[in-house]
Amino acid sequence: MAKVQVLNVAVLDNPSPFGNPFQFEITFECMEDLPEDLEWKIIYVGSAESEEYDQVLDSVLVGPVPAGRHMFVFQADAPNTGLIPETDAVGVTVVLITCTYRGQEFIRIGYYVNNEYTDPELRENPPLKPDYSQLQRNILASNPRVTRFHINWEGLADKMEDSENVDPSPNISGMLPPPCIPGKMPALGQMPDNSMDCL
Amino acid sequence: MKLLKPSWVSHNGKPIFSVDIHPDGTKFATGGQGEDSGKVMIWNMAPVLREEDEKNENIPKMLCQMDNHLACVNCVRWSNNGLYLASGGDDKLVMVWKRAALIGPSTVFGSSSKLANVEQWRCVTILRNHTGDVMDVAWSPHDVWLASCSVDNTIVIWNARKFPEMVTCLRGHTGLVKGLTWDPVGKYIASQADDHSLKVWRTVDWQMDANITKPFSECGGTTHVLRLSWSPDGQYLVSAHAMNNSGPTAQIVERDGWKTNMDFVGHRKAVTVVKFNPKIFKKKQKNGSSPKPSCPYCCCAVGSKDRSLSVWLTSLKRPLVVIHDLFDKSIMDISWTLTGLGMLVCSMDGTVAYLDFSLDELGDPLSEEEKNTIHQNIYGKSLAITNTEVQLSTTIIENPEMLKYQQERQNSAQTNVGAAAAGPESAAPKVNSVMNGESLEDIRKNLLKKQVETRTADGRRRITPLCIAQLDTGDFSPALFNSAPILPSGSSLSNQLAPQLNSDSSPGQPASLGLRPSQDGVLTSPPANSGAKGPEDDRDGLKSSLLLTSASKIEPMKALDSRFTERSKATPGVPSAISSTAGLTPLERPKDGVSALKEVKTKEETSSDSEDKMAAINKNLSFAKRKPELLLDGGEVVEKRKKGRPRKDKMAATIAQPFTQVRSGKRVSFLSRHSYGAARPEQEVTRSLCSAGRLQITPPPPEREPSRAAAPPPPAAVLRLPTPSPQKAFSLQVSMEPSVFLEVENEMSMVAGSKLSQLRCSRDGRDWNTLLPSSVLVAAGSSDVLAVVCDDRMMSVFSCCGRRLLPAIQLASPISALHCSAHFVMALTAGAALSVWDVQRQKALVRNESLQPLLSGADTTVSQSMLTQQGVPVIGLSNGKSYCFSLSLETWTLVADKGDSLVQCADFRSCLPSQDAAASSGPLAVVQGRNLNAGRLASRLSSTPHHLQQSMTLAFLENQLASALTLQSSQEYRHWLLIYARFLVNEGSEYRLRELCKELLGPVHKSASSSWQPATLGLHKRELLREVLPVIGENLRFQRLFTEYQDQLELLRLK
Repeated sequence: MAKVQVLNVAVLDNPSPFGNPFQFEITFECMEDLPEDLEWKIIYVGSAESEEYDQVLDSVLVGPVPAGRHMFVFQADAPNTGLIPETDAVGVTVVLITCTYRGQEFIRIGYYVNNEYTDPELRENPPLKPDYSQLQRNILASNPRVTRFHINWEGLADKMEDSENVDPSPNISGMLPPPCIPGKMPALGQMPDNSMDCL
Repeated sequence: MKLLKPSWVSHNGKPIFSVDIHPDGTKFATGGQGEDSGKVMIWNMAPVLREEDEKNENIPKMLCQMDNHLACVNCVRWSNNGLYLASGGDDKLVMVWKRAALIGPSTVFGSSSKLANVEQWRCVTILRNHTGDVMDVAWSPHDVWLASCSVDNTIVIWNARKFPEMVTCLRGHTGLVKGLTWDPVGKYIASQADDHSLKVWRTVDWQMDANITKPFSECGGTTHVLRLSWSPDGQYLVSAHAMNNSGPTAQIVERDGWKTNMDFVGHRKAVTVVKFNPKIFKKKQKNGSSPKPSCPYCCCAVGSKDRSLSVWLTSLKRPLVVIHDLFDKSIMDISWTLTGLGMLVCSMDGTVAYLDFSLDELGDPLSEEEKNTIHQNIYGKSLAITNTEVQLSTTIIENPEMLKYQQERQNSAQTNVGAAAAGPESAAPKVNSVMNGESLEDIRKNLLKKQVETRTADGRRRITPLCIAQLDTGDFSPALFNSAPILPSGSSLSNQLAPQLNSDSSPGQPASLGLRPSQDGVLTSPPANSGAKGPEDDRDGLKSSLLLTSASKIEPMKALDSRFTERSKATPGVPSAISSTAGLTPLERPKDGVSALKEVKTKEETSSDSEDKMAAINKNLSFAKRKPELLLDGGEVVEKRKKGRPRKDKMAATIAQPFTQVRSGKRVSFLSRHSYGAARPEQEVTRSLCSAGRLQITPPPPEREPSRAAAPPPPAAVLRLPTPSPQKAFSLQVSMEPSVFLEVENEMSMVAGSKLSQLRCSRDGRDWNTLLPSSVLVAAGSSDVLAVVCDDRMMSVFSCCGRRLLPAIQLASPISALHCSAHFVMALTAGAALSVWDVQRQKALVRNESLQPLLSGADTTVSQSMLTQQGVPVIGLSNGKSYCFSLSLETWTLVADKGDSLVQCADFRSCLPSQDAAASSGPLAVVQGRNLNAGRLASRLSSTPHHLQQSMTLAFLENQLASALTLQSSQEYRHWLLIYARFLVNEGSEYRLRELCKELLGPVHKSASSSWQPATLGLHKRELLREVLPVIGENLRFQRLFTEYQDQLELLRLK
């Protein structure tokens, strides 16, 4: 089971000018003392079309993490505008916060981000070349999208994880649970006819 | 009888495998399948019981849901005291949950349902031992034990007062064990399995008392569960699925002689679950009828795969009620309320039904006193009646000491439970104390300013999170981290936290930043692929549709949506590792791009991206990596670093600081921004060497200098170990308490054409400094001594106040690693020779001892070196073996071997003490690494016979003891000794136990010929024995042994 649960992410300084740093206040809870640091990243998706334009805005190590509830503010500089396709500068994109432990990502929190001009004039007739100084960034804080991944928290080699996920080998006294996905109903054919009307 | 199916109790249509009503009747738990995990849910009972509560929106229905089980949950059971909930699932785990009171309602972050968890239930312990799905769990009367059974054919009895301690493992079933029930008076536990048997086990000695097979011989293994039940008067045990004359029945087994003469018949398919009503009833006195005394009777509910439920009274020959078609699928579990009038039934179809009976239907329930009287009449004083009595009811305790000890144990367990019971109410103010008067809001306002941010060696930001609440982990989980109040200033907080870090300094962490070359600075934090942006694309498709005016209008877009759920190529650790290591490990660079990509590919789990996208990423990665390469590497520099640097990096990460200081090393800030090493070519380094040499050796320089320049680097073949490279300046923190910092600035001043190096030390704010004629390569220190080695191979040792303690010592070859600990100094030279000096006594402990015998393999090298507080040198090799030089034996001894199969197979987890703080920080633990993956492989070896694993564990534990002894690590010795003793007690090896006790006790009468030492490693053996005896006392089987040694100890004490 996951040793770290993210309880809340508060988006600070939102909405804000495009050039302001991102600030997320992250609250998480840890089941037991972690011997290694957590690594958090903020990834700005430069273009919906391709991951090529993803920018890792920053990554921080967070630690030490003893058992308990913790919070910190993760601040990262605004994306490098030079790396954003001009056509994608204005409009909706995504910012992702990921956390990895021992190099394995176990949670990914995504927010929609809307970049738009505050000036109605510019909004009507946006310049061909985006004017980042006039852009406002609005993170849709109310609707985070959270994806969790199962990882191996013990940090042994990946092989280990695999072996743990494998069912006990059939030679254990030759007994295996009946194939039980997902409802655990044994296949009809295996059901012996032990039903009998009572008299 | 009333019947209700509360439709809101559901796992989103997924099957519900188990249901259990809380003893206080206010809530109930369900367990089953979740979305992609197992799920445990806790529900409010009130809306089930009362319609108005069901309609009242302010009354929560769901109280908490836990997705922590990785696979389907087969069973949920409340402890009898209601404090804990145990759940067992297909993930082979049993989790024990406890309500965490200090944390208020919260939602599952990001979950679509905005349903808050009204109550917070937290997993306080995970019980791992089963190697297959856990099918049933059961708390013993009075919560002394928790039993779990599994498809691995075993039943494990856990010590419920000391999780995760295992009491025993009951072996004997040859098929999947699918149901468990405790005798209400605590004398037996019964289990039913697919091997056509029902077995009854005694709790006194955990041996099988009865093996009942006849009624089950015709059974097929077709039911998911076989939940059997014991009647509340203890007289009858009713099995799940049995066959009588080819018809499915629930077999009644009489306690008296385990006779099987009666059964409940009528179900058309296999019986999955039987559950006795907790109450004993007597006939309702009707007005007018003669008050003739009637026999008390029990009530039993039977659920079957035929989807029907029958309720029986033992006084009637026919069922009280049969309900057909209540569900669409098999009934999986039944739970009665403690009042005996309500019952919840759950089914594989994912629904739950509630049945409400009246007293008229069932009869008058007997009061607890009357029930106790019945028990007393039948069994005499039983566990069920006497709360505080020892659980091992029938064993005669022969010794008053033993009795006293057992009673003490009981009492302390009771108080623990009492304290836990008081928990929920008293815990709330705890939050405030943690906050130190500051409200959460205040903290949040200043969090960004307040939080402690440091830089790691490779220039990455590291934030120390603010602890806002400790986990209310209850009484069993090892709470290493006791309290960390939030302090006004950030730095003091970090100081306070640091000592608690003991388990954190894994070898992968940079431990001694002071020794690191500074080329890291170049890479501070370039985004992984920022250098790889291709030319801009002229895509216009989406743009127009994206011109939205307000955030509220943001509509999810498919292209972006996938990004939320797929692990991106930029994140799963690999590329980031590339970005930070690009400059550090030039050796591996050529193939890195390929291998990294492979890793990315294999790690990909959720992505379904096309090939060309991958190719693009590929380009990305390799491009990003090549850039810093160009930046940093000049031709000959690469050559040089290939030889020395990579290994050196490894060294810097793993070596240095004796174990006490490993943590402090982490926090050292890296002062110098310019140093030799990466950026500068080699000549410069040699030049500095020469100039330093010139200062020491006065005229005539022309003749001497060439020889000197040639002399320092001995032939390459001799240099087995890497040496640190010179730096312009560096600093390190030598100790935390008192806080001592060392700063070295090489070539800081020129005097008469020669350069002087300065060593500055600040201790508790007081500074001293001293000058050295040659540039300092490495420095190390402890709270007592400081040592530096210069590049002329001269080692100087200073007291903590800056007094030179020894004249400069000339080392035979350049230094490779230097350590100080207490008043010991250890030098490991590049010629693979090790020396240790006791500065206080001005004596050599280890004299130029060669590592050659250890470094036998072609590419074995030293990966770690360390000096313990007792002056014992420890060398860790790259092949996973660690040696320590035993001062008394004057030889190298093997203290740890990571590849040792014993380590991986030993399974002593059940013997681990619950408070396990001391041993995790000793030198043995440091050498062996944190993940002493005890028993990790053990589960894989479940096919190996038990006795083999037992022997391996024994061998491993004895190795540990011997190693701790050699390392003179007394705390660890004690720790392993106690584990060893507990293991011997659990496994019942009296022979060794006796020998151990004998050794600890020593001769009772003094005799000159005896070579027995009363103490080992400063621990008094008899004191150790005093600690071991209670462990022995836990197993009544050894009470004679306990008594014997207890008496002798007592005798000795009185002398």
